[in-house]
This record gives sequence, structure tokens and C-alpha cells, in this order.
Amino acid sequence: MTRYAFSVNAELCIGCSSCGMACKNQYNLDPGMVWRKLYPLSEEIYPHKDRAFYSLACNHCSQPACLEGCPVGAYTQREDGIVVHNEDVCIGCRNCLRNCPFGAPRYNEEEGHVEKCSMCWQRIDEGLLPACVQACPTNALTLVDLDVDDVSSTVQYPPGFPYRPDLEPSTRFVLPVAPKIVRRDV
Amino acid sequence: MQEKHGSGNKNIQQTLGNKVSRRDFLKMMTAVGAIAALPGNGLLRRGPGASVMPSTGYEGKDAYQVFHNACPRNCYDTCGMLSYVKDGVLKFVEGDPASTFTRGGLCVKGYSYPRSVYSPDRIKYPMKQEGRGTGNWVRISWDEALDTIAKKILELKEQDGSLLGLGMTKYSGNFGITHYGVEGMMSSLGYTTRFVGTPCWPAGIDAQNFDMGNMWCNDPEDMVHSKYIIIWGANPSINSIHSMKYINEAKRRGAKVLVIDPIFTQTAAKANEYWQIKPGADGALALGMARHLLDKKLEDKAWLEENGEGYSEFASYLRREITVDWAAEQSGIPAERIKQITEEFASVKPATIWLGYGLQRHTNGGAMVRAIDAFVAMTGNIGKVGGGARYGHLFTWGFNYNALVQSAPEGSIGYTGVTGPMGEFDTGQGGNAATYTDRAFNINKIAQEILDAKEPPVRMLYVANKNVLSQDFDRNKIIEAFKKLDLIVVADLFFNPTVEQADIVLPTTTLFEDWTVNVSYWHYWMSINEQAIAPMYETKSDIEIASALSAKINSLKAGSCTFPENIDPKEMMIKEFNDGIYSLFGINSWEDLKNGAHKAKLVSSASWSDNKFGTPSGKYEFKSAIAEEYGHSALVKYKEPREAYASYRLLTPHSMYGLHSQFQNLDWMLDYNPEPLAYIHPKLAREKGLVDGDTVRVYNKTGEVQLKVSVNDIVPADTILMYEAWYGQNNPFNVNILVDDESSDMGKYKTGAPGVAIHDQFAEIEKA
Repeated sequence: MTRYAFSVNAELCIGCSSCGMACKNQYNLDPGMVWRKLYPLSEEIYPHKDRAFYSLACNHCSQPACLEGCPVGAYTQREDGIVVHNEDVCIGCRNCLRNCPFGAPRYNEEEGHVEKCSMCWQRIDEGLLPACVQACPTNALTLVDLDVDDVSSTVQYPPGFPYRPDLEPSTRFVLPVAPKIVRRDV
Repeated sequence: MQEKHGSGNKNIQQTLGNKVSRRDFLKMMTAVGAIAALPGNGLLRRGPGASVMPSTGYEGKDAYQVFHNACPRNCYDTCGMLSYVKDGVLKFVEGDPASTFTRGGLCVKGYSYPRSVYSPDRIKYPMKQEGRGTGNWVRISWDEALDTIAKKILELKEQDGSLLGLGMTKYSGNFGITHYGVEGMMSSLGYTTRFVGTPCWPAGIDAQNFDMGNMWCNDPEDMVHSKYIIIWGANPSINSIHSMKYINEAKRRGAKVLVIDPIFTQTAAKANEYWQIKPGADGALALGMARHLLDKKLEDKAWLEENGEGYSEFASYLRREITVDWAAEQSGIPAERIKQITEEFASVKPATIWLGYGLQRHTNGGAMVRAIDAFVAMTGNIGKVGGGARYGHLFTWGFNYNALVQSAPEGSIGYTGVTGPMGEFDTGQGGNAATYTDRAFNINKIAQEILDAKEPPVRMLYVANKNVLSQDFDRNKIIEAFKKLDLIVVADLFFNPTVEQADIVLPTTTLFEDWTVNVSYWHYWMSINEQAIAPMYETKSDIEIASALSAKINSLKAGSCTFPENIDPKEMMIKEFNDGIYSLFGINSWEDLKNGAHKAKLVSSASWSDNKFGTPSGKYEFKSAIAEEYGHSALVKYKEPREAYASYRLLTPHSMYGLHSQFQNLDWMLDYNPEPLAYIHPKLAREKGLVDGDTVRVYNKTGEVQLKVSVNDIVPADTILMYEAWYGQNNPFNVNILVDDESSDMGKYKTGAPGVAIHDQFAEIEKA
């Protein structure tokens, strides 16, 4: 079996946002639409503002709340775990926006429908990496197969990430590390 | 090419008058039968209404024509790219997987390219503005635009007897080799006034030339072998993102990484240790470290004996005038840390220092680079794989500069004074200037130079690949200076602040609509840039403009311009190659690059691996007679920093979302970085009664800007940090309103003019 998931290594992440723009580039997203972006960690989690991030899009949950609450079946989950949203079926009711605690589905005002990360299933089916993963210059964002890859050194619910074991979000995390800092006296 | 892309281009033309959404593109494509039914993987687990998979995103490799491109921006990484084109429309871009440096990836800027090509804000036609800065733009034909320009040039020649009244300023908007055809266009008209030098890196270039006889860095990919890495004033996490994997790998193998920077940068956050140095004290710190090497007898005596010129004099200077405690006091870094790191660095080989360009943007910048170079040299790490004092290189830039090298028309009169190189890329092949030359003005003092110019004054300015009003210094003075000009012509992609002050704007092609070839000043790869889509609207490349102007001016007065009147951009690119380039890269023809980027075949990944230096002595020169000739200390020495002229240090480094004034204006980029911020330390915020999101005035003797603050301890309490960027037409923010045109110490030797002390600026801050 295959169970695809994103792995987000905040120790390796350099906050370059290439992942987010690679997504916009692949899907030619309308201005204002962002499927993947960096969430800076608060100072309680990492001691310096704007210096550590989780790169997040859809977490492709095993029990996707978006799918459960969709009245028209616009959501599909593939055997490999990828949760796909179909814009052509979507009626724009935004139930999924209310149900998803991770903020993954985005409402496109102009088009009147929801959009979200599809883990680039078309690319995966062709043996390619998702656009965001391919973009990552430090391998901080990777595609893992939870049924095969060893993810024992990762965590599923890092600080700052909604604790929702009922949904079983597939994304895995490695926490950031702060360097020794020598400041001047001012 | 026109025919091949004809239908696609028409599609775009019909659609693009309005805002084009992704959906519109898809509809357009579906209408022409371009989108076939897409396969899912069939194994759908859940979701009752899900028989149809969404029709967006990647359409399979057979759906696209793929072209090789090169990102031509002024950036370390100069990424090879692939562009995916369907029916003449650029659908998306990727990194060229053939390059091990970029490894199939681009940065946040590179991935925004499709939006830049199809931006509704692009300049589509030649236009004239009735009243500079009024926004009263009127569309005109290319013929009218060129006629106006040509007649003005002929008038200047008539009036002055020369074309020195025609000024040209160009810098790093596009580093494609054929873009030197802008300089070529000027040379083909006669001897003109050139704004020479570089605002970027000249002090460091001169410093490394004094020390080693050239600026020549190791292959960045060999940093994986480094056992100790100091990143000194560079921030690759945001502006050389593909270098970070080598640093990470070295770290994984056990190397220690220290970042020295006034700001706790994203790169610093990834290091083992970070030092918050006082700006302008880098030289003092490096000299203190050098002194400690002597105290602990950690210098590489054998290497220095063999390769060091003037070393014993330098060592005496260190013993006489430098102490670690003094360096600690100057730099703000405790003596204990200086000692420990120095000992650690000297105890392993190879160890390397990456010197960023920010650290030399000071009135003592070149002297500071020399001090850091000297420290690396003393540890015997120059010429070593995984070692080196890394700054940059021009090793792979040996093209023909065919577009650049043009002869002045017969009988042209020029400048007769002494001139130096016309910028860092000047190969010394500048035409047949036996008697006359161009008149060289300092690119970094454009306002003052125009204000002071006499016999003749500059009356016309041609601007290409440069956004003067965003990027040049003392903006308010530039506006004054521009009032002296009869005609300002700007060739560009967007209505940027320079275009706002122009009389005529010429629409240029994006990289995807042009042919050229690119190399880097950091890595050793070369990428071809194929035309992937037909030029949109009425856009022309720089060399097509040159060619069209040549035809026009010669039709008005024969013999006025030597630039070829009919050119093919692809042929012009081919003419840039030579056997030297082919041999260096191990290719038989430029066509080999159609299969992907190629890397230079290096004897060693280390520069200076044979210890044969390019200096007059052939050795590493701690004491340089050439430095003295150019008015500097011959010996590597401490040089005092610029004195503060206001209460707080103002730092205005590169943003990760833009390359100078490029990219940040795109709506896609605004989605990730919507507005400029001034970063201040919580202590300063308390003193000034400021909280996150407050609007502040930041001002000094040069000007004032207003923006919101972010309270953040990444900056020290005596510093204001603002990233440079142009946020588009509706946002007047520009950091260079606050940057005066004070020169850095070095740059004249190799680039024709000193640089600018961009980071020796000071300002006040108050709640607005």
C-alpha cells in the first residue's frame, strides 16, 4: 500500500517560500489565491520571530473533515491518501472551510468555488514530485510514503499545529533548532 | 518562430486585454480542444460525486513543448530553467534538472515568472508621456518613437559636434550576454557618456584584485568538503537558496557554521553560532582574529613562506597595532568568542569564509574585505578545495561580446581625457577607440554627474536594464538632475518609477520572448535561453531596439550608426560563443546547451589551486603596490568606518521577494509579501512608543519614507532594517530615498568607479 504525505522539516527549512510560489506557478493560481504558504512559528515555540516556519498546504487527512461535510461530493480521497477537490463540482458553500481546522481549502471569490492543494496527483502519477517538493532547495519539504518510509523521528502534532487526532492529518514534522547567539551590547 | 507560435500568441492577445484568471486560460485552451480528458489514478476510495477529476494543474509531459531558459537576474544562483509551453502559452516553469547546483528548483522569484509575462501591468507598446510624472501616456508607433529618438541624437551631434550629450545608464536588469547590445547600440552611434561602475560589489572586487590579482571564488558546490564555514555578511537563505544545501551537507558531515551579520538573518538561524557584529567593524574583527592566530602560532607558516608577499610586514603591523580586546570593543563580539572561533577555524582544513556583498558597501568596505581575505590566507586555506575566501568570479564570462563590440561611425568625435574600465564586465575590447573614448561618469552618482556635466552637458538619457529612480542613490537629487535633460528614454517591462519620469518608454521582451545565454558570478554553470514564446504585444529585445534605431537614424542621415540593421536574436546569441567557451565547458557547440545546463570543466573546484596568483609578485599580496597606486593603504590595514550622521543605523539589504526593484510589484508576490516593513528591536520600540503595525516616519538628511513597523529582535536596538523593493505603481516606498551617494573606498581600479556606502546610512524614526 501507499500512503502519501508531506514531511515538513523546520530545521532544514530556510523560509524561502519557493514551495508556495512553485504551487502558484504550477496551477497558475489567481492573484489572491495561496494553496501553500509558510506559517512563522510564534516566539513561544521558537525564540525568534520570523525565523522558523511550517510550510503548510492541505494535510491530506485520513479522515478528511472537508470531504465528510461536502454536500455535493466535490472531494475525493484516493487510495494513496491524496484528498482531491473538484472545482467543477464545487458549489462554493464553504462548508469545508468551516470544517477544516488547518485552513487548507481556500475560497475563490471571483470564481465562486473552493480550491486547495491536490498534492499534484497528476505529477505523482507520472512519477514526478509535487511542484512544492521539487522546489524545495534544502529537502526540508519532502514527499513520504507513511506505509514505507521511516518517519519515527518526526512528529505528527508539533507545537502550534492543531491537535486533531480525529482527522489524522498525514503531514509529519521535524522541529527547528536555534543556534548559539552572541549579541552585542546596545 | 513567429509561425510556430502564431496561434498561441493570438489567443493571448484576444484574452489579455482583461484580467486573465487561471480558469479563463483553461476555458480558452478547452475551446481549442487542447485539454483532453485527464486520467485520475482510478483507485478512488471515497467520495460519491467524484467521477471527474479536476482539470487544473500538470497535464502530463506530452502536453507541453519544453524550452531551456536562464534566469538573467543579478543573482548568485542564475538558475537554468525549463519553460513548459502549450499552444504558444507559457504554462509554468521549473529549474533545469541538468544543473546539480539548482537541482530542478527555482526560488520564490523564479516561480513567479509566468505572472510577470502575462501581467496586466506590462508595457505593451511604445508610448510617450506628455509631462514627466503626469501619467499622461499616449500610445505611439515604433516608427514615431524611433523617429523622435533618432532626431534628438542627430540634433545633439549637430549642436555639440559629438554625442557626449547622450548619456546611457544600464546595469543588472538582465545579465544575458546579448543585452550588452545596449552598450553596443551606444558605441555604434559614436562616443557617448556612460555611467560606469557598479552599485553592487566593486569595493570587494578591487580588494580581491589587490590581494590575489583577481576575484575568483571556489565552486560553491565544494563547500560540502569544508570543515569550517564562516558566512560573513552573506544571506544565502534568501538570495542564494541553492547554496544552502552544500552548507547543510557540510554541517551534516560535522562542519561548524558561524554566521557574522548585523542582522540575525535566516541564514544565521540555520548556523551553529551567530555573531551580531557592529556594521563597519568587520575589518577590525578580522584583524583581531588574525592577531590571535599570531598569538597562538596558528598561522600556516609554510604556506605563507611560499606564497605570502609582504606578510612579515603585515604580521608586524598586527603585533604593533591590533589586539583581540580592541577588536572585541570595535565589533561588539566578546574576546573569548573571537579567540575560541579563531582557534577552531585554524585547527581544521579546509575551512572557508564566504564574504557577502553587503559587508563591502561601506566607506571602509574594500579595506574590510582585504582584512578578511588576509585572515583566510594566514590559515593557509586559499587555493584549497572546500577552502577559500569566496566572493565571486568572472571566470566563465569569456564570451565574444559581439553585441557589445561596435565601432563608432567614421569621423566620430569623443572624449579625450583618461578613462578606466566601463564596469566590472568590461573585457577591454571596447571598439576602435584609438584617439577618442566614451566619457565615463560614476554610475553611483548619476544625479551629481548630470548636474555637474559641462562641455557638453548631458541632454538625453537612455536607460535600459535599470530602474534609476528605485535603485540609484539620493532620489530627490535625481529628480532635480533629470530636469536638465531634454529627452529621457527608458526601455522596460513595467511602469516603474524611472518610466514615470521618462518622455518615451519602449516595451521590452521578457526572457521567454528572447534568445540569449547566461553564466553566473558564483557557480560555474552555463545555460542557454531559448525563445519559448513569441514576443507579446509590440515588445522588442534590447538588440532588436538597437537594430531598429540603427535603421531609423541611418534613413534620416546615412552613416549615423553602425549597428546591424537586420538582426536575428538567435543568430546574435550564437555569435557570442567561441572556442574558448566551448573548450571551458567541454561542449562542441552551443546546441549542446539545448539538452540542459553545462558546467565548466575545472582543473580544481578551488580557485588559485596552483598558488599562482595574478598579482604583480605572483603571490598573495598582504602589501599591494597597486592598492597604493589607487590611493589606499598598500598594507592590509584597519580603516575607520563612516561616522554616524543620525541616531540609528539604517540597513537596506536585498529582500527575498525581489531582485532590487524586480518581482515585488507582481500581484503574485504581493500575496506572499504584501507591504514593506521597518524592523526595529523591542527596546527601540519601547523608547519610541511603537507597537507592531504602527506607521512610522523614517527620515534623514536625504529624504523620508513612511511604512509600518515590525517589532523584532532580529535587529539590534540601534538599527532600523528595511528591505529594498519596488511594490508597484501604487506604493511610493523606496529605501534609496534614504541612501545618500557617499562612495565606498574601492572600485575604481577594476570597475571604473567606487561603489556606494549603502550600509553606512543613518536615520531617525518617529511615529507618523
